[in-house]
Amino acid sequence: MPGPGKQRNGPAAGSAGKPHRRLAPWRRLSQALFLLVFFFLFIKTDYTGSDRLEYAVNILFRIDPLLAASVMLAVKGLVALMLPALLLVGLTLILGRFFCGWVCPMGTLIDLCHPFLRPRTRRTDTLYPALPYLLLIFVLAGAFFGLPVAGYIDPFSILVRGLAIAVYPAFNQTVTGFFTYTYLEAPGFVNVVTEPVYSLLRATVLPFDQKYYTLVVLSAAILLAVFVLELIQRRFFCRNLCPLGGLIGLPAAAGIFRGYGGSDDCKACRTCRTVCRMDAIDEERRLAMSRCILCMDCRDKCPRDLIGFRFAPPSRRPAPVSLSRRAVMAALAGAALLPLFSGVRSMAKVPDPFLIRPPGSLPDPEFLDRCVRCGECMKVCIGNALHPSFLESGIEGIFAPRLIARIGYCEFNCTLCGQVCPTGAIRELELPDKHTFKIGHAFFDADRCLPYAKGIPCIVCEEHCPTPEKAIRFRNAVVENDRGETVTVRQPYVVDALCIGCGICENKCPLPDGAAVYVTSAGEARNPEHTLPAADSGLYLSP
Amino acid sequence: MNRREFLRDVLLWSAGLSLSVPRFTVSAVLAAPDPSPLVAVGTGADYVKLTAAVLEGLGGMGNFVRHGDRVVVKPNIGWDRSPDQAANTHPLVVRAVIDQALAAGASSVQVFDRPCNDPRRSYKNSGIEDMVRPIKDRRVRIEHMDERKFVPVDIARGKAVSRLEIYRDALEADCYINVPVAKHHGLSRLTIGLKNSMGVLGGNRGRMHHDLGQKLADLATVLRPSLNIIDAIRILLRNGPQGGSLADVKTIDTIIASADPVAADAWTTTLFDLEPGDIESTVAAHAMGLGEMNIDKMRLRTVTA
Repeated sequence: MPGPGKQRNGPAAGSAGKPHRRLAPWRRLSQALFLLVFFFLFIKTDYTGSDRLEYAVNILFRIDPLLAASVMLAVKGLVALMLPALLLVGLTLILGRFFCGWVCPMGTLIDLCHPFLRPRTRRTDTLYPALPYLLLIFVLAGAFFGLPVAGYIDPFSILVRGLAIAVYPAFNQTVTGFFTYTYLEAPGFVNVVTEPVYSLLRATVLPFDQKYYTLVVLSAAILLAVFVLELIQRRFFCRNLCPLGGLIGLPAAAGIFRGYGGSDDCKACRTCRTVCRMDAIDEERRLAMSRCILCMDCRDKCPRDLIGFRFAPPSRRPAPVSLSRRAVMAALAGAALLPLFSGVRSMAKVPDPFLIRPPGSLPDPEFLDRCVRCGECMKVCIGNALHPSFLESGIEGIFAPRLIARIGYCEFNCTLCGQVCPTGAIRELELPDKHTFKIGHAFFDADRCLPYAKGIPCIVCEEHCPTPEKAIRFRNAVVENDRGETVTVRQPYVVDALCIGCGICENKCPLPDGAAVYVTSAGEARNPEHTLPAADSGLYLSP
Repeated sequence: MNRREFLRDVLLWSAGLSLSVPRFTVSAVLAAPDPSPLVAVGTGADYVKLTAAVLEGLGGMGNFVRHGDRVVVKPNIGWDRSPDQAANTHPLVVRAVIDQALAAGASSVQVFDRPCNDPRRSYKNSGIEDMVRPIKDRRVRIEHMDERKFVPVDIARGKAVSRLEIYRDALEADCYINVPVAKHHGLSRLTIGLKNSMGVLGGNRGRMHHDLGQKLADLATVLRPSLNIIDAIRILLRNGPQGGSLADVKTIDTIIASADPVAADAWTTTLFDLEPGDIESTVAAHAMGLGEMNIDKMRLRTVTA
């Protein structure tokens, strides 16, 4: 493969002067670098010895204009955290959809998989060119009317969520499983090689510990589908689905960076159309900048070097895509009408009591309005406490984070989820605020708790309770234990004003199945209606 | 290695897997305990010097670490708490013990614990990681526990537990040095040395809490430290074992050391205005002949630094 900038082989057959230097290698180099940066930031979305994250790990979500538009339409106001998205819009006005071809990690991964997932047909025209725009209309109108689902289709949300929830944990388990096997079973001379390799992997690409999540299969399937669709046509997701691509196609079409090309000289040659992965070149060999992602294949492969790009005012600007009025109305109507049902669902009256949101979360519905389902909070959660929820808060709540204390608890001194949240759905808390921020409340199940149910001493919950003044305390009780002996045991109870709902009690409860102490959203600070009856209101912080 | 050889080897190893369930046989601690154990107690404000002085009271680290020994230093790094909150062993004590072991000729010194909170946060905020990492000596390693290294161990003399998963490096060490912090605990009243050994257990440790005192004694039958150095520099009087409020912490600048784990725990108990007999694990371990709990029978050596 020729290196970047290498002179193209063979004589230039055309009349267009100097032969082109190839630009696709530079594009690939850019893709590779940005993919590495992406993986680096993904791995660094973790505790690395400092209470503050050292890198802007959520930057991808903050430059995403689709998510920015969706969040701002949903909350009907400016969200400062997401203003960097304007940068991408501005750059697209100048350089077209360079982002899709040169930067986007999803696009790069799709291109990387192309050799293994070659399309079954040779047809080059995009199957559903209007779909990204209809999705865009639906997503943005939905956000406005109360159906915030941008995160379901945004490429970065799909990618990071799929990696964080499914791929990365499975990768760790597979690699660790292999090296556990060699460690336990392989002869010494094998371990001389494998153990240093394992140590290196642990120190670099593997996570600190094994995480477990809900919705693993769904997250993986959605991500996988993006790649499987490559079997239908190249960059299927990018040109048939991606509403972000559709959105930045608008400034690209209006921008000043334009491709030029086709002329009568081309005769029967359709090379550019054949190689174009975005169906951006029409029969007249005009380039539609709303679709072109500047991959440079047409330019590099044009036998006569007729195709090129330059800064120029847009001369004839064909509409990015023709949308039928009926389809647009359907998308708008769906987005406007579906939310009408939201208010009569049972959860509108009685929310799921076990739906506990991360510390610092905004009250509903603004929490879901802002949450873009990126999975960053679940990736960074060192306790493995945050998990994607399913339908607990309705069809618009899938993949939003919830705390499942039996799987993982909220670490007392940790504020990372608020730091990575790109939209402010989880407010960043200072440590003293975090220490008293109530996300839920613990309750004992006296039928299961050992000192209550069996007269057996057990204090694991109290031992782990992190508040300096323990939120779990004991009452001495004289009970008959399961051997018929009368014993004095210490029975735990929860102090309403001190419990913050971190869930470490539920997590560490030594019962083998469900815990005998469990956390609900009772008393959560973000919802004044959930205040506990007996709580001393002075000790509760309002969000 | 070609593919065929690889497959053959995989098959051979698999056979090994099915034949050799990894099991660790540890001979129960049978060495007759010293009938009148030596306990060194020191007070002083320079904790590095104090640690050295207390060890000198036991005849020096050379009595415990021989040249070429693989040494394990097991502090309490159980919680994501700062040194002044008294939930973890003081980093200076850990540092001093490591330096002493190195000077005595240890071939390696490993430092580890299995924390209750996030291990990275606990190692970091206990101050211990930052105290150990800068030591410019390749023999010293502070590391997080490797899940693969927990091995099932039969507790032949166990009364309350018959099998535990124990960290292999702790069992294989030539010299295992227990460096707990003394503090309040809701169930066992105090957590000192015997309780600190729980940090080398794998699996669900919550289940230990039923009949905890006896189970800790059972564990002590297979895991006997060569040396116990108890940090009572500042002690947590309430809301243990993790504390969090400085109001619960009392500074007494004391370190206790003994080769006898029961004696070390028993003597330390007196600092909390309790009797050795108040601590179930001490009583159970003494009953099993694992050490002395009567203060009168101990040879006490007090030092100051």
